[in-house]
Amino acid sequence: MEPDDADAQSVRPYTITQGRTAPARDDLTLITLVTTVEPEPSGRAASRGLQPEHRAILRQCRAPAAVAEIAAGLDLPISVAKILIDDLVALGRATTRPPLAVAAGSTMDMNLLRAVRDGLRRL
Amino acid sequence: MASAGFDLIQRTAADTAPAAVKILVAGGFGVGKTTLVGAVSEVAPLRTEEYLTVASVGVDDVEGVERKSTTTVAMDFGRIMVNPRLVIYLFGTPGQERFWFMWNDLVQGALGAIVLADTRRLETSFASIDFFESRRIPFVVGVNCFFGHRDRTEQEVREALDLDPEVPLLMGDMRQRAVGRELLVSLAEHLIVTNSMT
Repeated sequence: MEPDDADAQSVRPYTITQGRTAPARDDLTLITLVTTVEPEPSGRAASRGLQPEHRAILRQCRAPAAVAEIAAGLDLPISVAKILIDDLVALGRATTRPPLAVAAGSTMDMNLLRAVRDGLRRL
Repeated sequence: MASAGFDLIQRTAADTAPAAVKILVAGGFGVGKTTLVGAVSEVAPLRTEEYLTVASVGVDDVEGVERKSTTTVAMDFGRIMVNPRLVIYLFGTPGQERFWFMWNDLVQGALGAIVLADTRRLETSFASIDFFESRRIPFVVGVNCFFGHRDRTEQEVREALDLDPEVPLLMGDMRQRAVGRELLVSLAEHLIVTNSMT
């Protein structure tokens, strides 16, 4: 066996996405939280076309995980992970929660800021 | 029925994903960003990377041809679960500033930032400070004093960095969790103060 054969990194990342370089929708961010829909739908149709990476995401997101955590878990670039996550959302296998909206220069929710401060104090 | 109980817990967690916010940790190369993230994160810092397409600016632009190049940037990040409803992600910005400044997904929606500085080469933190000021992202400055080594006073550092007086500045050893916590708390308090003035 060639050394490359055993090395997952030797697979070009966009091969996993079948050549796609961007997700169909562009609303996923680094800290969008992804959660696997459970129970898992039965039947072959729900899993058709899933790559091993898709299944790994479904396993990881039984507890909510951020897009960045998923990419780190798969050892794939963020943009590649986003495409795979988007596939799962389209199939109804995962749900997403966008981060709290924080716009630079605009007023933030005081309750949120106090919760952040109090949480950090307990560290 | 232990397995059924486990299933129930899993499903409840899945139905209620927490709200997520992020804080950026910036500063020059080797200034201790990952160290700080690791000191306060509840998980060992994770590493991930992204491809960025960077439009190059140069003399060729007069020809009207847009030249782009793709580069890979890596960053480390950690997580603090404040409570079941709120999770904070800490992102150490990649070393190459000219790249991450254009990384909108990293910058947009950040609650605030920590800029780390090293007294031996303060100039490596200028770019980050300018960047957060121009993007109106509130920040605090942490001056890393390894082994308690202090060769400059707070006032000297403030002047060298040309900091606005209201920007909090702390000096300490960022490898210590207590120092990292203090920096984060001072950022949160700074956010509360700035926010109540607007």
